[in-house]
Amino acid sequence: MIRKFGNAAAGAAVFGSVALLPSYPVAQEAEGIFQTPQRPSLNFYGTTGLIDMPSAQMMPDGQVAVGVSNFGGTTRTTLTFQATPRIQASFRYSGIKDANFSAFDTYRDRSFDVRFLLNRESRYLPALTLGLQDFAGTGIYAGEFIAATKAFSNARIPGTVTTTVGLGWGRLGSSGSIGTPFGEDRPAFVAGDSGGELSIDQWFRGNAAPFAGVEWQINDKWGLKAEYSSDAYTLETANGSFDRKSRFNFGAEYQVSDGVRLGGYYLYGSEIGLNVQVQLNPNRPAAPLRIPAPQPYFIRPSRREDPQSYSTDWVKSEAEASVLVRDAIMPLLAAEGLTLIETRTTASTTEVRFSNERYGSTSIAVGRVARIMARLLPDSVETFRIVPVVNNLAQSAIVMRRSDLEALEFSPDVVDASLAVTGFDSASPVLRGSARNEEVFPSLNWSIGPYLSQSLFDPNEPIRIDAGVQLSLAYAPAPGWKVAGRLQHRLTGNIADNARPSTSALPAVRTNARLYADNSDTSIRELYASRQWKAAPDIYTRVSAGYLERMFGGVSAEMLWKPVASRLALGVEANYVKQRSFDTYLGFQDYTIATGHASAYYEFNNGFTGQLDVGRYLAGDVGATVSLEREFDNGWRVGGFFTLTDVSSEDFGEGSFDKGISMTIPLNWFLGKPTPQSGSRTIRPIQRDGGARLSVPGRLYEQVRSGHREELVGNWSGVWE
Amino acid sequence: MINVVSRLFAAVVLCALLVGCSISSDSKATESLPAQIVTAGQGLIAARRAPPPQTVVATRALLAKITEPVLQINPEAAGGSDFLRRAVSRRDSSTGRVEVWNSSVLAQVFLRNGVVVGTRGVGGDIIAADANMTILALRLRADRSGQRVYTISDGDATSTEYVFRCTVRSLGQENIIVAEQLFATTHMQENCIGGPSGDATIRNDYWVQPSNDVVRRSRQWVGPTTGYFELILLRD
Repeated sequence: MIRKFGNAAAGAAVFGSVALLPSYPVAQEAEGIFQTPQRPSLNFYGTTGLIDMPSAQMMPDGQVAVGVSNFGGTTRTTLTFQATPRIQASFRYSGIKDANFSAFDTYRDRSFDVRFLLNRESRYLPALTLGLQDFAGTGIYAGEFIAATKAFSNARIPGTVTTTVGLGWGRLGSSGSIGTPFGEDRPAFVAGDSGGELSIDQWFRGNAAPFAGVEWQINDKWGLKAEYSSDAYTLETANGSFDRKSRFNFGAEYQVSDGVRLGGYYLYGSEIGLNVQVQLNPNRPAAPLRIPAPQPYFIRPSRREDPQSYSTDWVKSEAEASVLVRDAIMPLLAAEGLTLIETRTTASTTEVRFSNERYGSTSIAVGRVARIMARLLPDSVETFRIVPVVNNLAQSAIVMRRSDLEALEFSPDVVDASLAVTGFDSASPVLRGSARNEEVFPSLNWSIGPYLSQSLFDPNEPIRIDAGVQLSLAYAPAPGWKVAGRLQHRLTGNIADNARPSTSALPAVRTNARLYADNSDTSIRELYASRQWKAAPDIYTRVSAGYLERMFGGVSAEMLWKPVASRLALGVEANYVKQRSFDTYLGFQDYTIATGHASAYYEFNNGFTGQLDVGRYLAGDVGATVSLEREFDNGWRVGGFFTLTDVSSEDFGEGSFDKGISMTIPLNWFLGKPTPQSGSRTIRPIQRDGGARLSVPGRLYEQVRSGHREELVGNWSGVWE
Repeated sequence: MINVVSRLFAAVVLCALLVGCSISSDSKATESLPAQIVTAGQGLIAARRAPPPQTVVATRALLAKITEPVLQINPEAAGGSDFLRRAVSRRDSSTGRVEVWNSSVLAQVFLRNGVVVGTRGVGGDIIAADANMTILALRLRADRSGQRVYTISDGDATSTEYVFRCTVRSLGQENIIVAEQLFATTHMQENCIGGPSGDATIRNDYWVQPSNDVVRRSRQWVGPTTGYFELILLRD
């Protein structure tokens, strides 16, 4: 009864086709009928603005911008994220050359900005924005502003003219002051201050000064800018970095491509400046995903027309029928890049458990499995239970009725209609009486390839890089068991050249990175055994032991509660670890610590995910980490985190407390072909010993979540791709 | 400083050497990540530089060799031609008869009485579309207007619904030649306005045979990424 397929795959073209559909999809729209959304230009601080001054404009929601600017001995590199339509956040790394006010040749600093849109631009009213610049750093760029921006277009002048007026404080109120409306007590900038804390006491204090400017976007390519600056550049001019002869700045900008804009400027009556602005939107993939079309499935005859086809005679025993289904479905899944793990069938219901090695979104894999089942299974099977499995963790059971699939395949509202009739259930920890794919275990995966590691923000050498060869091994003897290791051999690099010794008042759990890099070229990055399983339908468990990360080894246990349709998840993790020796072979040092956290995870309505971890950190400090990430349906993530513990800011050292930003980009966003891989990076302005968490491989939450309701719903049209 | 530069240079050379030579037990991932990106980039550049492939004009001699239904598609932006075979033809609960045509490159076009209601494997695909108003207008060869909704893939696993207001008009009788054969048709034109900001326009043209309501030839919009396809029904 199980259907056999001959040459059902798309055959060769009838007369040898000459060409096909685009072999490399181009992100640009073929006809340009959907215009690019409004894309305001950036200023020298890498945020929306004029030349050196800010404007009240916001970027399109979700936009990510990188700006690199240089003038008068100052270079600023800024990453800006439009977190919501009304909130813009930036992280900046800047350098001022020949800075005699600091201990280093080049004064380097990191700063965070945030802006709030108070009023959207409307027909008569301008956009109104409140901004805090360098609000938590050492304060070299500390300044606050309120700005209003209005765009005008007129039939007599080509393009758009945008005018901005604003009032600035701090650095933005240092030239042409009109007084101190909110008090005078603003402390001066002190180089070498540890920074990090919110400088609430100085916001909007001291001198206030107006600034203004105009931008004329002549056509799609060219724009002109002019502004009146309220920044006196007191520090830089005293330092001799440049001569400030004028308050006026002028510039011209050219839009090279959809995402890249270049500008040249004449600033402060004496300096030439350059600005490179790059903008991209996570919602607009660089290359649209193209995956082979699925085979259409057959529609069963109606039961009245052909009752015989609904016969259940093919199920002599469930065990036998399950083996039959397993053998038939395995190659079809494999052709889609999916691996059958096990299946169990009755005459009316079939459950398929599979793992996905090809698609970035689980929804695409679920759609492929559903189609294969609809093509393959005997007509009497009406209910499909599709269970994505990640490393022995059955994520969820997606329940579909076959008659719904048949009815909806070409329906105009297939995406919403099919979601409405799909059920999301918990998957049982073990599928009893199933026919298992015997080829899955044991499995050995290995790879040898290059690696690159970076060390950022050393004041003497902002980017340090090591490169070499890496061997990774993972052996899975049975479901849920894993023995894995990673060996690196450095061929070249300069991370170990960092001469700064650890000066920490805490146990040096992270600040000895240089010693780890310096001590040997060959290192065992990880070597551990782990087992993970489901203890109950909604409870996931993991135990790991070995050399868990580069600096620590020991034992780790974790338990997570995450119902399939719940936005909330709760977890606990306990670890007992010992510091590894600097040569990163098998030895240990004396320092041991019991560390662990209780965690709460929540998926908010608007794509934001929050995480709160409370517990004891590696240096023995007790506190909590708060993380907030915006997660796009296609897998892009941009977020930030901070940790507050019982360590005083003096003991913590530079930065006062641990904080950072994180970014994840799915690889298929660039490539346009399916791959589950993604690139991830966490950037800390500075890594100290306080608030440091153990980095255990294989934490449960991210493994489990990709197959849960919230993630699947966001990508539901992937089922029909 | 020189030391740093030379070391950086060495690092770059090393990376260049290492790119693409990653090996692993998993045959599917033999290409390392940087290599994949480089390959994709090279393909993109080659595709942009290459002259657009030629469109094939089907002849009667060629047509004589085929015995099964064939749909020729000429993508306007990408150039070239492909010949698709019919995989499915059936009625469902919506208006008209739905057909799935398979291309030679694992792509598909869904037609409902000759009107495009979906694509797969093309990139930026139409996941679903309604065509009731258009089908009715083509069948009656009469002017009609109404709303059309396209659900179009954003190029990842998400999609966006685009709503257009459309008007179909008859432009009168036209004789067209397909594979050296003359067909008497009615030229129907559909003009739509809508999309993300409400001002995008699309235009579909259909040449319908009055004798049997078959859309013999058409030029239809298949989404913002791909642009327009010319569809010629060589044999039905």
